[in-house]
Amino acid sequence: MTSGKPTISRRTALGLAAGAALAAPLPLRAQTYPDRPVTILVPFATGGYNDRYARAMAPFLSRHLGQPVTVVNRPGGGTMLGNMFYLQQPDDGYMVMVHSAAPFIPQTILLQNAQYKAEDFWMINLPSRDATLAATASSKPINTIDEVVAALKANPRSLTLGVQPASADFVNLALFLAGHGIDRNRARIITYADGGGPARTATVGGHVDVGFVGGEGFLPLRERIKPLMVFSDQRDPEFFPEAPLWADHAKAANIMPEFVEGSQRGFVVLRRFVERVPDRYKILESAIERATKDPECVAALKGQQLATTWYGPEASNRAYLNAFNTMQKYVDLLKQA
Amino acid sequence: MIDLPAAGSAVALLAGSLDAWIWVIPGLLIGLVFGALPGVSVSMAMALVLPATLYMDFLPAIIFLTSVYTGAGFGGSVPAVLMGIPGTSSAVATTFDGYPMARAGRHNEALGAALFASCLGVLASYAVLFVLVQPLAELVLMIGPYEMFAIAVWGMVLLGSLGGTSISRGLFASAIGVLIGTVGMNTAGYMRGTMGIPWLLDGVPTIPAMVGLLAASQLFGLVNATFLVESEQDRKISLGRILAGCALVFRYPGVLLRGSIIGAMVGAIPGVGSSIANLLSYAETRRTAKDGASFGTGNPKGVIASESANSSSEGGAMATMLALGIPGGGATAILLAAFAMHNVVGGPRFIDQNRDIVYAIILSNFAQAVLLVFVGTAFVFAASTIVRLPLRILIPCVLVVATMGAFAIEGSAAGPITLYVFAVLGWLLSRFGYPVAAVVVGLLLGRLIETELLRAYQMAGGDWREILNHPGALVIFALMVLSLGFSMWKDRRRRLGDAASA
Repeated sequence: MTSGKPTISRRTALGLAAGAALAAPLPLRAQTYPDRPVTILVPFATGGYNDRYARAMAPFLSRHLGQPVTVVNRPGGGTMLGNMFYLQQPDDGYMVMVHSAAPFIPQTILLQNAQYKAEDFWMINLPSRDATLAATASSKPINTIDEVVAALKANPRSLTLGVQPASADFVNLALFLAGHGIDRNRARIITYADGGGPARTATVGGHVDVGFVGGEGFLPLRERIKPLMVFSDQRDPEFFPEAPLWADHAKAANIMPEFVEGSQRGFVVLRRFVERVPDRYKILESAIERATKDPECVAALKGQQLATTWYGPEASNRAYLNAFNTMQKYVDLLKQA
Repeated sequence: MIDLPAAGSAVALLAGSLDAWIWVIPGLLIGLVFGALPGVSVSMAMALVLPATLYMDFLPAIIFLTSVYTGAGFGGSVPAVLMGIPGTSSAVATTFDGYPMARAGRHNEALGAALFASCLGVLASYAVLFVLVQPLAELVLMIGPYEMFAIAVWGMVLLGSLGGTSISRGLFASAIGVLIGTVGMNTAGYMRGTMGIPWLLDGVPTIPAMVGLLAASQLFGLVNATFLVESEQDRKISLGRILAGCALVFRYPGVLLRGSIIGAMVGAIPGVGSSIANLLSYAETRRTAKDGASFGTGNPKGVIASESANSSSEGGAMATMLALGIPGGGATAILLAAFAMHNVVGGPRFIDQNRDIVYAIILSNFAQAVLLVFVGTAFVFAASTIVRLPLRILIPCVLVVATMGAFAIEGSAAGPITLYVFAVLGWLLSRFGYPVAAVVVGLLLGRLIETELLRAYQMAGGDWREILNHPGALVIFALMVLSLGFSMWKDRRRRLGDAASA
């Protein structure tokens, strides 16, 4: 463990600050956004991925915005409470969310009757993409996803399947079973609410034969599981490359390779803000872009296993709305959980 | 199983770094203060200091956080003893006997016993951790829904008749607690009883509800009193009597040991933790004690049972976190976040490659437990002065602090509203002679029982024979029936004996 001593001396820092103050055109400075601290709102409790991402990004965002950035947590109701709170804030650009926008915003709308629309939110960048992983404990005799399919086809009750209810993982599990013509109502599906953690623990402990959970959380537990399949259509060398992809598996079995991407996390604002105050939005977007691409930021985040890709608003909004539409299409599956 | 070279370098790591030490006492104090505020939980206290640890080195950061953890584990018992209001949900069982002791003027002894039981509980659980990190974690992984359900039912059965005189009233109160505990989304994703209020989606906020229930029933009970402790000469705060309370712990080593084992085991199970451990330990101690009937009226064994279990669950939770990288609850989730913030990934690989750091964390916790004796005594000494405050000043202060604590949980009015709604319910229940504690137990255990039963049912797929595949659960159920039968038989014999001699 090396000590993280500050690398900038006080004098340099003061000099930099003075320089920055001089550089700003004086008459404009009072009205220039941002002229006070900016808050990142995280609709989850302290310590989760979003919280860690927000706190890791804060100093770099602060550097590129020229204002302090603080993180506030407002958990509850599967992000619904945080979303409702955010919708009540003024459109002044002083609060930005770091959110698992998909699947959480769609879930609150489709299953919890949230009174907002998917389009009310605008994605600036969603660098973190998690995918559902089908996995089994290393002690189990199962070795491939084809063995799982064969066993379930012979007898849907032969294996227990662990999943988080009303989640992207659940839709993927349902699509997997339906594709292979396995009766979901006869299969033994064990549901774990309260996030992916409990389902993962049950998988590692062997209480369920196969778990369908977001794969990222499995990375520290790699030695204790056998990954069976990744619900994705792109191979990622850092994300269980040894497991087959759902897209290939589906093609081989002649199933429609449809699936819902797992958590898509990153910076989110309101569409209302983007439309009403476009100049401030541009400043915020470009600061987030520069912070994300800042080499120091990339290094810092990589060390903490946090994603640093810049996809930009266009690709991020497309991915988010795609997830929403797929979930809406399969809303009946979700409700039957 | 102790890796001696690693232990040696752990000692060197701790001895060579001042940074690893300067944060221990501030951490303990922060934990004590926040833990003692009703409504501020252990994990909240840790979440508050988490951002500050970003600027420390890895080892000092973790030591700072575990000091807060240790401090808050005991801090919660101070208001539990002095006012019957648990500062955290892990101190519920401490109120059962601690508060009657305080009302009888034995607050010094009660706090001393609580403090010492806590320190020894922390020591014991970390000692277990030092020797058995891996086996303990493996054992925890073996506990599935059937076993968990059996344990929870055991707790519910033992605690069902808590504090009440009539069994039917106790059952009724527990049923209310269970019903309230099941509000919100269940583990299968169904929404129940939320009445369209989004703030109820995650269920009734447990901590403000619990504080409301207990505070109301206790504070209204004080209506005619002018001081917490009636007799003036008992209102003294005496170091000697605090130490006498500490000594009480040594008179009941069995209670302490059982509490520590239950705490370490239950604390290690993800998603259960100290708020259940203290209840189970209390219930078991009461069941096996010869003077079981005097529990609830100020028996120090009740305090020792509860406090040893809630502090030893810290070590258990740390075992699961260190060995598996699985956070058992809010507090260890924050520790894992601190790991991540320092570019360290917890889990099996971490413990293999950084045995010295793991040992340094454990050894530092031994030191924390010892330091807690001193810091805790000073804190208790200061906190006990409230028994000298006239109640007309104390009660409004407690209400304000409880309201603020309830607000701080989510930063919204949902907390205070819950607090007041449940305060009214608590007052009504105690006014008509229903045991409020049974509602709290139902609230804490009900959700666990429902969740695990539902999973067990899903696993069985409707076939009852599935339970035969879970011998662990069968053994727990068999033990439960046997021990209950034995207690009833003993009870009956005693009553027959009483009748014969009368």
